[in-house]
Amino acid sequence: MADRTTDAFTSDDVWTPVSPRLITARRITLALVMLLAVAGVVALFLIPGVPRAWALAAAVVALVVFVWLWWLIGRRVRSFGYSERGDDLLVTSGIMFRRLVIVPYGRMQLVDVKAGPIDRWLGVTTVQLHTAAATTDAKIPGLVPDVAAALRDRLAQRGEQRSTGL
Amino acid sequence: MDPETTPPLPPTGSGSVVGDDLGLGLQLPGDGTVDAAGRRRVHPITPLVHAVSALPIALIVLFSLSIGGAFAIGARTVFLALALLVILPLVVGGISYLAWRNLWFWFDDDGDFRVDSGILTKKQRRLQLSRLQSVDVTQPLAARVFSLAEVTVEVAGSHDSRVRLRFLPLAAARDLRSELLARAAGLRHDVGEAPEAPIASVAPRDLAVSLVLRTVTAGLLLLTGLIIVFTVLTSGWGGLVLALFTGGLPILIVVGEFMKFFNFTVSQSPDGLRLRFGLAKTETRTVPPGRVQAIEFVEPLLWRRWNWVRLRVNIAGVGGTDSNGNTEETLLIPVATRDIADDIVARVLPGLDLAGMDWQAAPDRSRRRSPIQWSRLAVAWDDHVFVARRGRLTRRIMVIPHVRTQSVRLTQGPWERPLDLASVHVDSTPGPVKVMALHLDAGAARAIADAQALRAERGRAQDRTTRWAAEQLRDGASVEEPGAGQPDA
Repeated sequence: MADRTTDAFTSDDVWTPVSPRLITARRITLALVMLLAVAGVVALFLIPGVPRAWALAAAVVALVVFVWLWWLIGRRVRSFGYSERGDDLLVTSGIMFRRLVIVPYGRMQLVDVKAGPIDRWLGVTTVQLHTAAATTDAKIPGLVPDVAAALRDRLAQRGEQRSTGL
Repeated sequence: MDPETTPPLPPTGSGSVVGDDLGLGLQLPGDGTVDAAGRRRVHPITPLVHAVSALPIALIVLFSLSIGGAFAIGARTVFLALALLVILPLVVGGISYLAWRNLWFWFDDDGDFRVDSGILTKKQRRLQLSRLQSVDVTQPLAARVFSLAEVTVEVAGSHDSRVRLRFLPLAAARDLRSELLARAAGLRHDVGEAPEAPIASVAPRDLAVSLVLRTVTAGLLLLTGLIIVFTVLTSGWGGLVLALFTGGLPILIVVGEFMKFFNFTVSQSPDGLRLRFGLAKTETRTVPPGRVQAIEFVEPLLWRRWNWVRLRVNIAGVGGTDSNGNTEETLLIPVATRDIADDIVARVLPGLDLAGMDWQAAPDRSRRRSPIQWSRLAVAWDDHVFVARRGRLTRRIMVIPHVRTQSVRLTQGPWERPLDLASVHVDSTPGPVKVMALHLDAGAARAIADAQALRAERGRAQDRTTRWAAEQLRDGASVEEPGAGQPDA
């Protein structure tokens, strides 16, 4: 990790990280997908005529991918952060492909608050900002519902004060 | 209802002096009907036009059936074929008739444009003219036969923000367009069609040459030539199949764009820039100056001998995706010399001075990320616009006004990271222009991104383009005041 004061993506700002519950939520999803892979590997062992070595290799690959993704989810979620500044909102994320989105409050057209079934069960919510540009990719996943609702209201209020059109 | 806000439709043939009818001469009497409340209808011949346009489809169906050997020629099959040729247009025409009966459009007392439509599911739409992006008049082939035209109204909005009125007599379509634009610009609506002065036109020869010499097209054609030569030399005829693809694809694109942008003319009218183009299907597009979101100069390697450029443009609500869901390349002009292009740009983005800007180049180490284009990579800005430059074979310059900046992104890929490089993307509304300043020093890129977000926010306060015509005529007698000062979103 680069020094916080010199790194272009994190410098100078007060970052709010997202809830670690998002890690759990994403790992549960990963585990559900993994169940399918396990079923596939078991089938390889049971089907006659498939060499044992192949089935073993598939099992190893599945395990390695699982561990790697498990670890990656933790890093990815920790890379998310947002910062409310005077005139704009910053959202940063990514490890391999890092990005930082700056959305001036006056350009926000709407703010979405979304949560899937696993997210709702664990109490995490996604806040997404939309501008007139489709390429604005300002998504903050993994917020506690109260925090998300408060953020949405603050953003909507600031947007309303400044919005003047397209 | 106030008769002043909803004047009856002017009779066919009145008013318009601009442009010739490209139709095939079948002028029809009558015009759109107006009911007691001032609501208007499209031309009653519309169902017939739709029926006629269904004929080719019927023919294609018949043709494919006969190729498939579905039937042998005989009295019965001829009868069936005729029945198909009659029934399909009848059904299409019938549905179109019901749609015509239920389609009404008018201006309401609040000055909004209203459209009611739908046969089973009724749809009522209310378009805020302060958010109008553009009005197009197009003439599909079948409509040209009857001198009719389609009016497409685009309003800023994320989804399904387009209304198509099919079909009006050409003159009535032009009058409706000028009325919509005049109302949107905050002028009184009875000013008539704005006079226009031609600025530029593209000769068919130049268009054809320019299309063939675009970098990818020329590359593929060259590849095709090589494949053919090698195939002939080695007698390995399998290569010809490949040549069919590498040669066929660019030829299809060249022919398609040639048909689409044939006879491209740009003229200036008080409504904004007016673009006309098309061979089989003619289109007229009016670009109000305040609606241009971003511009890109594209200059392929093989165009440089003539100093040619193409001007691509983002207009909110237009060109992101067309009615079929395809992405459409919206242009200000498909090919022009740099002088003419600069003149056109000056009319939609006055005061743009690319040469006089303080260009900040990407650092030398960006060579290791982009060995070809690194020396062209640069970024600049002034009080009004943000400009980025990229591309070596095809040179590109992208311009976005600060007031049109939606958001700013800073990105860093795995190849940029070890070199401490980052790219700045300035987000615009959907369209062909993507503004990106690639591979800058990471720290500098962050400073540029922060500053651009601030300029976007500050620039907004001074924006006067939403009711630009009213601004120009602030003290004039023909300014319609209501709503002129209120925000439009």
